[in-house]
Amino acid sequence: MNVTQILFWFLSVLALFGALMVVTSKNPVHSVLWLIATFFSISGHYILLNAQFLAIVNIIVYAGAIMVLFLFVIMLMNLNKTTEPKKNRWLKLAGGVAGGCLLLVFIAALKSSEITQQTAEVKTGDIGLIKNLGRELFSTYVVPFEISSILFLSAMVGAVVIGKKE
Amino acid sequence: MWSFSHIANEMHEGLSATFNPTMTLIIEMVIAGVAVIGLFAGLGLVLVIMERKVSAWMQIRLGPNRVGPKGMLQSLADTLKLIVKEGLTPNGADKFLFNLAPFIAMIVAMLLMAPIAFARDFQLWDLNIGVLYVSAVSSIMVISILMAGWASNNKYSLMGAMRSGAQIVSYELSAGLSILAIVVLTGSLSLSDIIHSQADGWWIFKGHIPVLIAFVTFIIAVTAETNRAPFDLAEAESELTAGFHTEYSGMKFALFFLAEYVNVFIVCAIGATLFLGGWMPFHIGNWQGFNHVMDYIPSSLWFFGKTFFLIFVIMWFRWTFPRLRIDQLLNLEWKYLLPISMFNLLLVTLMAIMGWHF
Amino acid sequence: MLKDFLILMKPELVVTAILFLLLFIKIGKGIKNETMLPLIQVLLLANFLLGFFFNQQGVLFEGAYSTTPLIVFQKNILSLGVYLISLLCTDWLKKSQNLPEFFMLMLSALLGMFFMISSGNLLIFFLSLELATIPVAAMANFDLDKKIASEAAMKMILSSAFSSGILLFGISLLYGATGTISFSELPQLLDGSPLQVLAFVFLFTAFAFKLSIVPFHLWTADVYEGSPIAVSSFLSVISKGSVAFIFISTLYKVFQPMHDVWYNMLVILAIATMVIGNLFAIRQQNIKRFLAFSSIAQVGFILVGISSNDHTGLTSVVYFVLIYVFSNLAAFGVASVISGQTGKENIDDYKGLYKTNPFLSWVLALALFSLAGIPPTAGFFGKLFLVTAGASNGSYGFITVVALNLIVSLYYYLRIIRAVFMDKNEQPIDKIKINPAAKLGLLICGAGIILVGVLSWIYDYINSLT
Repeated sequence: MNVTQILFWFLSVLALFGALMVVTSKNPVHSVLWLIATFFSISGHYILLNAQFLAIVNIIVYAGAIMVLFLFVIMLMNLNKTTEPKKNRWLKLAGGVAGGCLLLVFIAALKSSEITQQTAEVKTGDIGLIKNLGRELFSTYVVPFEISSILFLSAMVGAVVIGKKE
Repeated sequence: MWSFSHIANEMHEGLSATFNPTMTLIIEMVIAGVAVIGLFAGLGLVLVIMERKVSAWMQIRLGPNRVGPKGMLQSLADTLKLIVKEGLTPNGADKFLFNLAPFIAMIVAMLLMAPIAFARDFQLWDLNIGVLYVSAVSSIMVISILMAGWASNNKYSLMGAMRSGAQIVSYELSAGLSILAIVVLTGSLSLSDIIHSQADGWWIFKGHIPVLIAFVTFIIAVTAETNRAPFDLAEAESELTAGFHTEYSGMKFALFFLAEYVNVFIVCAIGATLFLGGWMPFHIGNWQGFNHVMDYIPSSLWFFGKTFFLIFVIMWFRWTFPRLRIDQLLNLEWKYLLPISMFNLLLVTLMAIMGWHF
Repeated sequence: MLKDFLILMKPELVVTAILFLLLFIKIGKGIKNETMLPLIQVLLLANFLLGFFFNQQGVLFEGAYSTTPLIVFQKNILSLGVYLISLLCTDWLKKSQNLPEFFMLMLSALLGMFFMISSGNLLIFFLSLELATIPVAAMANFDLDKKIASEAAMKMILSSAFSSGILLFGISLLYGATGTISFSELPQLLDGSPLQVLAFVFLFTAFAFKLSIVPFHLWTADVYEGSPIAVSSFLSVISKGSVAFIFISTLYKVFQPMHDVWYNMLVILAIATMVIGNLFAIRQQNIKRFLAFSSIAQVGFILVGISSNDHTGLTSVVYFVLIYVFSNLAAFGVASVISGQTGKENIDDYKGLYKTNPFLSWVLALALFSLAGIPPTAGFFGKLFLVTAGASNGSYGFITVVALNLIVSLYYYLRIIRAVFMDKNEQPIDKIKINPAAKLGLLICGAGIILVGVLSWIYDYINSLT
């Protein structure tokens, strides 16, 4: 086991643990903080795949901006343990059964697929580097890029209309 | 010639001769860590006394003058006092987050040290996206502040944290855009490339008015980002006691305090690197004699000199400008700085494409 | 190159131009709604008419964007629908505080749909699906003072975010299993391995959410009820139509190798959708909720047509959507006129409508006949072609269930017609003065309902495109 593998397992465990804590934490603020931890471990994965730019952007946008807004809203609304609604026991049971079935299907599907023989290319590939990414983004993928800009514009217009006082 | 890179190389060779490569790497990492912590402590002491002396000088008074020669050991005494004080955790606080927050603030500040070039060839980690790394890691700062404010279970703290969060998130934009202006001119995100591109003159001189605008925007934005006056609404003493660190005491308070000063140092170091050439000496065109004289001044002195000049400027702001109101603060960013820096970025791009800079 | 780009992407570019024009108008000095609305209507009409000229087929951006005469025709149907909505909902729109923004959002959703229909890989498909959904959620909240509208917007944004999550998961699994996101390369790589089936099920779920196929329909009724009628009609006609178009083309072209998998899924879901939609429509009191469930049932019939898996299926679905645009918009249009003038949305209030408002009653009757599939109207031919396409596979048990559902649907459509024409009411809705624009819209819809069925060349034309 070399350093890369150790890092991979460490980051994966951290990501999964963080994600589990996001779902199971009683306190919403803790959930958000765990989500930030998850984003960090995912950024670590990006770095392992030699996509530093993606890793950094992931931190800037998600951990640094979006999650801060989440924290803002949750803190302003002062959500805490007491405001957490009680969930129906049967609903929990049903959720557990459904989730378990999904897990089973996933394991079965992955087990019989050919993916298990393929491995990710770690530390190679330069598509994640900023120069190549920029070129791709403004040539092959310029349409999705522009679509997302219109999407943000319209989301902004919608938010302003809804949020504006009469 | 005596220089940091020289010492670093000597050390590396000495270690490689006695240990195997892995061991060498580990020892070097430990040394770097200790050096950064040492720098931290040193910076904390120096910057606090500097701030007090500068404020005293501006207000025509003496400032600290009892401990040590001319009161120079005052901040050492203060540190000692903070270390022996009891660290209280308020009742009803979220204990874990409350205690975690100052350390996160500290870790962020330490991580930011990594890509800074302190002298010629003396840099902990020359990563190819250094500038982005700095803005990414500094954006984590908000989280520690929000964490501290929320976990304290105190209205003042929460309000302070909210204000500071809103402020940091919004001013990050124009800081980022003004950094981008330099990135556009150099065509690289690596800090060492940016420094090397200024060998024939610093960007602030080479880049005409647009870079000057970017520089001014940058200084305003980072002053706001570090929550310093006139943008210190987050800890406006008259309204919020002390903002997000109202409930902190002892060493945990000291960590926040230290992180704030170290952040000031870091943003000034970045500003010096991007606009004033980092450790690059001051050169005037092809005037060989003058340039040679300038080269004799060690690169580390150039770097620290520029950085401390910027720190002085930021302190100057603090003691001369009155504090802004929250609406003025947001107006300044969203209605003035952001549009200006966006337009400025376009201008710089045009300039870079047409090759109008020197 | 540039000329190709301009001509091939013309529909998108025109919509984008109008969209930004509206934005700039809003930024400048405010224009009164009375002058603004006709301007917008003219622009939308121009957009619709421009759809008929300068059309070419071709591929752009290495296959990421493609257009064919069929796609152009589909886009024209959607443009027509948007134009009709702008006419029919005049009353409500005039009162709106944020008219330019409303149409800006609607046009950006339309732009998303255009890109979605033309998309050549999963990335563009996903992004444009988002663009087609998120603005609509904001539009759903345009009755800013109504709590029920915020609830509708909230439900819509949450359920669509959830379905996008599932879609993305499916896309990532599919990419993991095949290593490509391009629609043209996927069919060669699909072999029906369990992982691919799983990925496909996730993708299918996302489509089912947007089309509100049972059991993913739970958001539909609440959102339709809460949002303004303009938005409900947009959701039920334009949104559904566009997703149906891309759904059928991905099934037929991309997932053709997995035909066995999706045929069974379609049959089961079609039956479930029709049955649930019909049963719930019977007991609705609010006209918007009623139309919501009726549109769910209609989607069930569309699925029957899709299940045929040959070009008659494609033809019949496109033809049916065209008819559905006219009939459903006519029904929503009448509801919009009545609700815009009186605020009444309950079916009981419609009792005795014929006495006071014969024109509205006739249009409503025509629309409901068409939705139910009664012979003189186009709806009959639409349903007929859908069912014959579905029957081409020879599964007669399935077709029997479909026929039974047709009869059930007759019952509840006729229930409203009975309320309008026969039921007595002491206080019927007063005589409504219909706005000329809305009247024009209703007339277009009515003419469409009759003519599309009678003129056989329309079906032949669509058939030639497919």
